[in-house]
Amino acid sequence: MARVDITGGCLCGAIRYSAITARDIVTLCHCTECRRFTGHHWAAVRVLERDLQISGSAKLAWYAHSETARRGFCADCGSSLIFRFNDADFLGIAAGSIDTPTGLTAGQHIFCNEKGDYYEIADGVPQSESW
Amino acid sequence: MTEVQHKGQCLCGAVAFTVTGDLPTPTACHCSMCRRHTGHFLVSTEVQKTALQIHDETQLRWYRSSDRVQRGFCATCGASLFFDAIYRDWVAVSMGAFEPPTGTQMSLHIFTADKGDYYVIADGLPQNPQ
Repeated sequence: MARVDITGGCLCGAIRYSAITARDIVTLCHCTECRRFTGHHWAAVRVLERDLQISGSAKLAWYAHSETARRGFCADCGSSLIFRFNDADFLGIAAGSIDTPTGLTAGQHIFCNEKGDYYEIADGVPQSESW
Repeated sequence: MTEVQHKGQCLCGAVAFTVTGDLPTPTACHCSMCRRHTGHFLVSTEVQKTALQIHDETQLRWYRSSDRVQRGFCATCGASLFFDAIYRDWVAVSMGAFEPPTGTQMSLHIFTADKGDYYVIADGLPQNPQ
């Protein structure tokens, strides 16, 4: 699995980052929480915390939606940016926030049993009911 | 006859809303602004502003993303909720915020010329480059 250099940031530009991804695939999560957070469904690439540099982190707000994980977003523009487990050394960076070309490919749909009822998953990418 | 109502909320529940009437068929926008704001791409339904009731706006924040648009999100949980066409009579509400059943299906992809490169659009729905 290839590692990819990426740069990106939020809509307003207050938060910018550079990173080397842990792999070259994007995970697409259809769980209820991700769908509420993003407005459709989540898409993220895994990055080890030590491989991520963030500028403007004072604008990075966090919401702990469970005891085990939290989500990061820009406090100024509301861009949905990060998902991370509290005790993990990696996090998920929103694929839509990455400057193009990303060098990444959708690799897995997860939590498809919670997907919204107004769309179909038709891209041929493997699906799983939960993880 | 009482009109149908569709309820929705942000991730933390601080911003909850009700839309009265059937939800117009949602559109998927793949422009870079929507992709940065949502983290993937935006799918929303355009409702009349008079049909949308937001029950508590205490945590609702607006970001003016262009001359004619402001984007609403929750200050507590960061949920990307609303695309407000400021000078128009409609506001687009993110489909992911609605409680099921939504009673509708996506009908169109727009700004596909600006779509992300890590995914394909394969659902057979019409695509507009802008």
